[in-house]
Amino acid sequence: MRPWSMLLAVGLALSLSHPARAAGYQIEPSLAEDLDIAQDGRRLPGQPPPVEETPAPETGPPAVAPPTRDYPREFIPVPDRWRLIEEIGVNEHWWNPYSQNTFKGDRPLFGNDWFFSTSFVNDTVFEPRTVPTPVGVQSTKNSREIDTYGRIGQAFINENLLSSFSFTKGDTAFKPPEFEFRVTPVFNVNYLSVDEVGIVNADPRKGDTRQKTFVGLQEAFIDYHLRDVSERYDFDSLRVGIQPFSTDFRGFLFQDDQLGARLFGNRDNNLWQYNLAMFQRLEKDTDSGLNDVTQARRKDWVLVTNLYRQDLPWPGLTQQITVVYNRNRERGERFYDDNDFLVRPAPIGDERGHNYDVTYAGWNMNGHIGRFNLMSSAYYANGYDSHNTFSGKPADIRAEFAAIEPSVDFDWLRVRLSGLYASGDRNPYGRTETGFDAIMENPQFAGADTSYWIRQAIPFIGGGGVVLSGRNAILPSLRTSEDQGQSNFINPGLLLFGVGSDADILPELKLSTNANYLRFQNTSVLEVLRQQGEIQDRIGFDLSAALTYRPFFTQNVVLRLSGGILIPQQGFKDLYVSQDKQRYLYSVLADIVLTY
Amino acid sequence: MAPESRPRRGAEGAAREAVGRRRRGHALRAAAACAAAALSVLSFGVVRAEAQQLTSDAVAQIIAQAVGEATARHQPATIAVVDRVGNVLGVFRMNGAPLDVTITSGRGVVGGLENAVVPDTAAAIAKAITGAYLSSNGNAFTTRTANYIVQEHFAPGTKDQPSGPLFGVQFSQLPCSDLSSRFPTSGMIGPQRSPLGLSADPGGIPLYSGGVLVGGIGVTSRGVYSDDLTVFVTESDPDELIALAGTVGFDAPAGIRANKITINGLLLPYTDVDTTALAANPGAAPSFAAINGTAGALVSVNGYYTAGLVPLNGTVYGTPASGIAPDSSGLFGNAQAYVLVDASNVNRFAPRPGTDGALALTAAEVQQILAQALAVGLQARSQIRQPLNSAAQVSSFVVDTNGGILGAVRAPDAPVFGIDVALQKARTAAFFSGAYAGNDLAAAGMGGYVGAARSFVGQAMLTGAYAFTDRANGNLSRPYYPDGIDGTPNGPFSNPINQWSIFTDGLQLDLVAANIVQHVGFIFGTNPDTVVACTGVARLPNGIQIFPGSVPIYRGSVLVGGIGTSGDGVDQDDLVSFLGLNNAGGVLNTGIGNAPVGIRADNLSPMGVALRYVNCPVDPFLGQQNQNACSGK
Repeated sequence: MRPWSMLLAVGLALSLSHPARAAGYQIEPSLAEDLDIAQDGRRLPGQPPPVEETPAPETGPPAVAPPTRDYPREFIPVPDRWRLIEEIGVNEHWWNPYSQNTFKGDRPLFGNDWFFSTSFVNDTVFEPRTVPTPVGVQSTKNSREIDTYGRIGQAFINENLLSSFSFTKGDTAFKPPEFEFRVTPVFNVNYLSVDEVGIVNADPRKGDTRQKTFVGLQEAFIDYHLRDVSERYDFDSLRVGIQPFSTDFRGFLFQDDQLGARLFGNRDNNLWQYNLAMFQRLEKDTDSGLNDVTQARRKDWVLVTNLYRQDLPWPGLTQQITVVYNRNRERGERFYDDNDFLVRPAPIGDERGHNYDVTYAGWNMNGHIGRFNLMSSAYYANGYDSHNTFSGKPADIRAEFAAIEPSVDFDWLRVRLSGLYASGDRNPYGRTETGFDAIMENPQFAGADTSYWIRQAIPFIGGGGVVLSGRNAILPSLRTSEDQGQSNFINPGLLLFGVGSDADILPELKLSTNANYLRFQNTSVLEVLRQQGEIQDRIGFDLSAALTYRPFFTQNVVLRLSGGILIPQQGFKDLYVSQDKQRYLYSVLADIVLTY
Repeated sequence: MAPESRPRRGAEGAAREAVGRRRRGHALRAAAACAAAALSVLSFGVVRAEAQQLTSDAVAQIIAQAVGEATARHQPATIAVVDRVGNVLGVFRMNGAPLDVTITSGRGVVGGLENAVVPDTAAAIAKAITGAYLSSNGNAFTTRTANYIVQEHFAPGTKDQPSGPLFGVQFSQLPCSDLSSRFPTSGMIGPQRSPLGLSADPGGIPLYSGGVLVGGIGVTSRGVYSDDLTVFVTESDPDELIALAGTVGFDAPAGIRANKITINGLLLPYTDVDTTALAANPGAAPSFAAINGTAGALVSVNGYYTAGLVPLNGTVYGTPASGIAPDSSGLFGNAQAYVLVDASNVNRFAPRPGTDGALALTAAEVQQILAQALAVGLQARSQIRQPLNSAAQVSSFVVDTNGGILGAVRAPDAPVFGIDVALQKARTAAFFSGAYAGNDLAAAGMGGYVGAARSFVGQAMLTGAYAFTDRANGNLSRPYYPDGIDGTPNGPFSNPINQWSIFTDGLQLDLVAANIVQHVGFIFGTNPDTVVACTGVARLPNGIQIFPGSVPIYRGSVLVGGIGTSGDGVDQDDLVSFLGLNNAGGVLNTGIGNAPVGIRADNLSPMGVALRYVNCPVDPFLGQQNQNACSGK
């Protein structure tokens, strides 16, 4: 029975040192008395003075001695603690991530503290949609197509098998690991079917479908734990290689898996966190959006420094300030993507290349104030563009961005409001570019990928080889591509108001809804590019709903079905076709995520 | 500019604009220039400019300024100035200017006009005419602009992009054209021909007076007549600098220059240099009297100009003397109809019946087709004009299957180049849709192209089995098929890319090369002038055109002619021809209309790539929400 008593001892030790106490969890009064008052004899406010404990009289032989109190410092760990729980019937199954599993880092692979952890995520997306589509210039899919706007039906299928392998050297969950080596290759198959030629490739002979496979490297880093700086394992750590990073809570500015070096850590019992990072962006594979390490790295660097503070000014609210510097030196390039479309420089304006330096100063917030949840983000961009593609001269960059999402929970229902402002460019020929653009956005906001506007890349037909707003992007930044294009600060900007809800209908079933109203800030640049006056600023209503079903109450099997529609208003109609049969555009996502 | 000159902009828009201008110096200057022009306003937003003249004194000043710059650069030049309809007002050759100019694209290509030697005066006049002809009161285009829109890719130098929208326009206004009058017999009735067609060699710039287009200046000084294949590299071209010096005081309003105008999102280039790059101050240039006879002299040019003591006065555009005047007949039911007239103000091309048999177009039908085309154009949104949301202004011609001109009409400010081009386009559509096409081409020595076309497209090609628009024919006239896709073979009417340049592009040039060569000899004084009929094909007396804007005309399923339109964006040209004909057919109800859909060229798919028939533009109409205007018609 010795192992049992050891287990109890461990459990008690945990309760003694458990941070839950510090966090104000209620402790049973009798236990509190037992632990605090009786132990050191201090007086506590509002409590009667401690009384001297009188041992119970011995009532008969042979009296059993009361158990001695166990103190943490008196423990001696058993040599093979990893097999401890086999004693209670918990055995290893390599296929079961919930049992003890060496491949999930539950037991050391070798030694006492070298762990190996794998995970596999299979993400299958089926995406029928309608997107404004031009007919081919040189040729059309069908005869009798004699206008510029073609058929809008498209289908996209994307299959990602994400495999992650991680070696860590470390002890337990409490203490950060000393080393981590991790690689995450992603195997992709994607298929796109459209209804016109010249879309899947610049060459109309390539037809109207495209299937590609690709292997991308989304993580490949070494994390070295430099030091602990407090008894509570506040630390400094250095991570070098391809690693995920987001400059803010919702991916408004830069969220990507990129090559870089990052010094990060925390202080004061994790109340403070910091990052100091530099990335050089990797080229993306055009069709999968994954990192393509076989191509030359982009001449684009991102320097990030940020500081987080939890519980400021109230518990539960985290503040962050950040300065992000983006240096782009792709002026000399003429870079074509895998489908032979020019992506750098963008084929608009005078089509000459440009460099830019932009510094973003940001203030972000996330958390809750009592029962009200709050997320906010604000950025000010200031910089220099070597070549305004319209004026042909250098220009300054000054642009603003703000987003806010307050929400409140009513039991199983969360109700959200969303607001977003991105400044638009006022004069494309001017000396100052005032349209806000991000570095690599991936906004988790206002419906995210269920929203038509955010999910779909809408080609700017008749206005050059750019998209109005990119895929998985909220800003109408008129880039060639979110993944491969340069930032563009001469864009119409955006104003968004939205309401939404997340309803936990069942523990395994969640329904999210969003309704957004969108408008441009300033359509000057749209008018210049389309050589068309009086383009209105009202884009329209973006309505979406997503149903997420987790049949086993876990993340191992997640089924999601979402649909979004865009109901155009005048500004959008000024740019795109508005025939009766196309009163709205839709985007459906059927998504199956299987995780090991 | 008065706010009402933009009828579709509200007072708020005008006010906002006014504020914007106060902030922006160059825009303010443009506004002032526009105000000075005292533009009067007609319906549909079309502005009719008050008459302006390029006077002899002005031409003298322009030449003197250009000579001042050339002198400062030690770059003796030949300078030509023309009025808006192409009358040569002065040709000044500086001492030491190269007399012989070699044509070269710099591509290392031989054949066609490549390496031909032409007179300096011919090069200068072609450039000046290009500056004047491609421009209007709503757009100012230079020869540099022309270069950007005639190459095998748009923008030039990019990969896998279709050709420039005006691909082939260089072979218009040809010296053999039956449309243009000839100096000196017809006086100064425009439009005049150009010795080398239109030019893509920097150094030709339009001239404005009080914001109104009055002509163009062309300069050649380097001994070569070329183009620019490296458009993304800013260059300092002496021809352009010298011409630019000439334009000072006569420059285009900044707001309508090519670099304020986009086609499919691409801004067009105006000049690579601005006046800050000038070596001499044009305002301090010696007077014309001081240089004439010392720095150089006015020189006569066979077929174009007889040198006098001073330059000539230009014609006033829009008056009968210019050859282009308002239609006084009311035939087209539209106060904005302009027509081509002779010196007596008689419409040269009043609607007349076709000459090709019982089913030929009647004069009334021609009149209706042109009236409808004009109406479509004036409702359409221009692709190349400022301010934005100006109406398109184009020229349209109707021809019969013999190539005979049955009628013409144009909008007041349509660019002049579109007159000859619209006729070329109309004839091209009627010709290539006809049963005679193959035989006619073979008889003119172009049998090789006939064979190539038939093996490329099918034996039905050039037999009248299919209706060919200029867009469809253009697809087959590019050095790549599909258009612009690198590494693909040439279309059957084009040279392969390694033998292609804008000076030798295939069938289009081969049909007229002998005419041009003979005309060059005529200017040199070595032989008589070319006949008044290009190509050797009687149905094509001003050559063919290979960029979009025309459709063949059918009565039922019988080909009876063609309509061609030019002057605005090529999609707008398509829209006007196609929809104008369609609408006329609806009004006439005489069987006249577009080709039956089953025989249109877009049923053909050489190499599995379907040809295009027409392509109507995005958001085609002002004040209407009808994005797909042509579908189903």
